[in-house]
Amino acid sequence: MKHAILTTALLGLASTAYAAEGERVQITGEIIDTWCYYSGVMGPPEATTGTAHHTCALWCSAGGIPVGLLGEDGEVYMVLKIEGDDSSASGDTQLRLASHEIVADGMLYKRDGLNYLVVETVVADNGIVNQTHDDWGVTPGFAIPDPEAE
Amino acid sequence: MKKLIVLFTLIATPAVAQDFSANSEARPWNLVAEVPARFEATVVDLLCELAGDCPANCGDGRRQLGLLRSADGVLVYPNKNSQPAFTGAAVELYPFCGQEVEVDGLMITDPELNVDNVYLVQTIRKLGDTEWTKANQWTKVWAEKNPDAEGKGPWFRRDPRVNGMIAADGYLGLGQEVDEAFIADWF
Repeated sequence: MKHAILTTALLGLASTAYAAEGERVQITGEIIDTWCYYSGVMGPPEATTGTAHHTCALWCSAGGIPVGLLGEDGEVYMVLKIEGDDSSASGDTQLRLASHEIVADGMLYKRDGLNYLVVETVVADNGIVNQTHDDWGVTPGFAIPDPEAE
Repeated sequence: MKKLIVLFTLIATPAVAQDFSANSEARPWNLVAEVPARFEATVVDLLCELAGDCPANCGDGRRQLGLLRSADGVLVYPNKNSQPAFTGAAVELYPFCGQEVEVDGLMITDPELNVDNVYLVQTIRKLGDTEWTKANQWTKVWAEKNPDAEGKGPWFRRDPRVNGMIAADGYLGLGQEVDEAFIADWF
């Protein structure tokens, strides 16, 4: 009996550890600014993606706000590394990819309700394809300086 | 045997959500899903914690950092510092790499967006310290790194990398021609 309980307890521990193991995935999605997407500070999620939000996405990425990959499944994958570049806080690679649709191959780690992604290869970079400015203008509205005020 | 049964019970019991809002002095941002949260945690390198990729000194400031909460072992992701200026939290947490700290701020929990444990950090202090450090150093650090940044206004109007991207691809990212047509209509 003692052995059975110990074995069960160890299996429980093992399954907890296994949950933190990475899983190889290939995800197609848009590189987004996670804070604006999650917080609602700039409006609904749809207003914080694509061309409408591109300038803000540049600001936030350069400002060290985490970038995410908004997958076709609607899930956000927090990007921690891209093709060997671990500069996830204000790095050049993630800045260059702001608002781009990419196909990312890498390792997925799930932890406490969030998805974390280590991108080993950008299989495809389709550029900026999500044209949201016709619906939302730009978010925030001051993203483009008023030419009259310059 | 009794100890083993207790151990098994602890392992098998699902984590119960705790309330970390007690004693929080976080300033509201009036965000839809914000909840004040003050808790103790260890500042960790996220890539190290999750993937075992562990350079010295949390990657010398390049990487995003997390807060491994002491009370329940939950990994919290600080996305934002306390400045309303498009600025993240890694710069604020980096001086506390590997240390036990207490933080105060706002947790974002939104079932509709399937998000939990995303955090806006407002103040930090090393465990045992009495003085809090405000999480508002990002713009100061940027100014030190960019002494020659030209133009006027806040950092995001003067950042050389951002301005280089906008000069190349426009505010919408689709090129200057698309920008011109949009701007003519927008203003």
